[in-house]
Amino acid sequence: MIKKKVTIVNDAGLHARPAAALVKLASKFESDFYVHLYGYKVNGKSILGVMTLAAEKGAELELELDGPDEEEATEAITELIGDGFGEVYEDGNE
Amino acid sequence: MSDEVNSTEKYISGAPACPGIVIGNTSLYQRVRPRVSDTQIADNETEDHICKFYEVLDIAEEELQALLENADLKESSDLIQMQIAILNDPELRERVEQEIVANNKPVDSAVESIFRNYLKVIHQNHGDTFQNKSVDISDIRDRLLQILHNKRDDIKEGTILVARELSPREIISFSNRDIKGIVTDRGGATSHAAIIARSMNIPTVVGTQKATEVISPGDEVVLDGRNGEVVVYPKKETRKKYKSLMAQQSKKQADFESLCKKPNKTSDGTTFTLQANIEFAEELSIANKYQAEGIGLLRTESIYLSREHFQNIDHQVAFYSSLLELTAPHKVTIRLFDVGGDKFFGDEEKEQNPFLGWRGIRMLLEQPELLKNQLRAIFKTSADFMGRIRILVPMISTTDEINKLKSIIDEIMQELLAEGVDIDENIPLGLMVEVPSVALKANLFAQHADFLSIGTNDLTQYTLAVDRGNERISHLYDQRHPAIWRLIKEVSEAGKQNKIPVSVCGELASDPIAACCLMGLGINTLSMNAVVLPLVKQLLRSNSYNDMQQLADKVLQAETLDDIDRIFSNWEKKE
Repeated sequence: MIKKKVTIVNDAGLHARPAAALVKLASKFESDFYVHLYGYKVNGKSILGVMTLAAEKGAELELELDGPDEEEATEAITELIGDGFGEVYEDGNE
Repeated sequence: MSDEVNSTEKYISGAPACPGIVIGNTSLYQRVRPRVSDTQIADNETEDHICKFYEVLDIAEEELQALLENADLKESSDLIQMQIAILNDPELRERVEQEIVANNKPVDSAVESIFRNYLKVIHQNHGDTFQNKSVDISDIRDRLLQILHNKRDDIKEGTILVARELSPREIISFSNRDIKGIVTDRGGATSHAAIIARSMNIPTVVGTQKATEVISPGDEVVLDGRNGEVVVYPKKETRKKYKSLMAQQSKKQADFESLCKKPNKTSDGTTFTLQANIEFAEELSIANKYQAEGIGLLRTESIYLSREHFQNIDHQVAFYSSLLELTAPHKVTIRLFDVGGDKFFGDEEKEQNPFLGWRGIRMLLEQPELLKNQLRAIFKTSADFMGRIRILVPMISTTDEINKLKSIIDEIMQELLAEGVDIDENIPLGLMVEVPSVALKANLFAQHADFLSIGTNDLTQYTLAVDRGNERISHLYDQRHPAIWRLIKEVSEAGKQNKIPVSVCGELASDPIAACCLMGLGINTLSMNAVVLPLVKQLLRSNSYNDMQQLADKVLQAETLDDIDRIFSNWEKKE
């Protein structure tokens, strides 16, 4: 089992589109995937579960992966979240 | 059916969202959320209920997949993808099954209670800010319950739909149900739902405020989507009048499609170019049907104003690319982000005179990151569409602004080239002529631009000092005003002298007679709302360039709007 902390970096947080992207990616892996935040633990392959977290920008998630492809899965998921689900903004100075 | 004796003819009006006239009986569309059963089921029934649950998930997913095919826009497909992900949520499935088996709940009540739990937690954790997004979750729950209860809605085929408000998903879902027309209480002509109605060519009137109050299911109505009028309980004479209008229209419609395939030439062989003004990808289907030769004005405000995509370069590139793919091989003129500061930075930036204020290029130059990101997106898109993109700058009023913008464009090009990104290095830069001083000094501005595009909407409001949104004075607003023709002539001549193209992308171009006049003034590229392309084309094709020049001479000599009215109606009689 792997546990890893990642921070949400995109401004809008873990709203509908990123949640859908996260679940879609996680579902490609065989390993079980859970997300911990503020004492909650949700199934990371459940979009409704992930949306209940209300993770905003700056929230630190703990990923928990367990299964035969846990390493690849951790890497892929960390990358997706770290890249802000493709919606991080340029360092605008507004 | 309406009671002919007691019912007197009533008129209600709203915003015209898709042209066309229809007469028919109405059905009322209500978003129904069926009541769930509160009974318990026997142990031996649970399996059937679980099967039923999976059947319903399949039906709902099939519906959404079908909608996805019609969802050109990123936002609509994001929404639908999210709803599909919910249907496939393993935890949702497990919990509903468990609710059925462990608590002997019937499937509808199990679905309802599991969704209620999720929504409760979501509201607790997000507070009210999540309200907007949870709508899509409750929408999919309601759809599941509707399918379970076999309760679709009260829509009858072949009727005119009356609804309080419709979501884009709902309108797309009417596509196979032979809906003749749509009337809503809420919404504007530029709402996403209205645009989808337009792309499906369903005559539509939106924002009537009171349609659902005034109209009962089964009432006969006349819907005129050309001017936003709805007649309830039409009198015999009214019905007759509209019937003959409809006959004319349907003949025209048939003629339109064949007309649009003909070459863009006046009766004496002068060629012209007709393009479409576009804001959403959905609008392209009509533009393509009517053979628009590219996009003369691509409004980019909506991609910015949808907060989620704010400043995201990849989303912009995807948006521009999808439009360019759908309009090949024609040109697409991208207008830089054009709104006032208030739309963007909130109420603290409210101005006394926003139309005379911090907007268009004035704001962009002071928000360099915003501007640079849009330019980066445009240039990144350009490599795949060499020679097809043009950039149009809104609200230019000084040459200094052009120089500053040019140096920023150079900077972005150098930056991208240094990063090894392929770009089109020769994207033409055009100026929007909408400030009267620019039109009067068009010769100067033409020396700084690769093309000019006249935005007659704002040019009129600035020249006549009339806010068209102000009902008390809006009667003073008319784009065919003699002063406007004079300004247009200045711009047209400046274009000729400097050998750069001049086009018109304002509403004036969508008035067929005015379009003839513009041609007569030497402007042969016109961009307009796609639905009016055939009407304009018809008149341009059936007249000679020579006659148009004479028409132009007349309007230039006109003193008042009354003169213009007379000139236009004489020209019409000549037809």
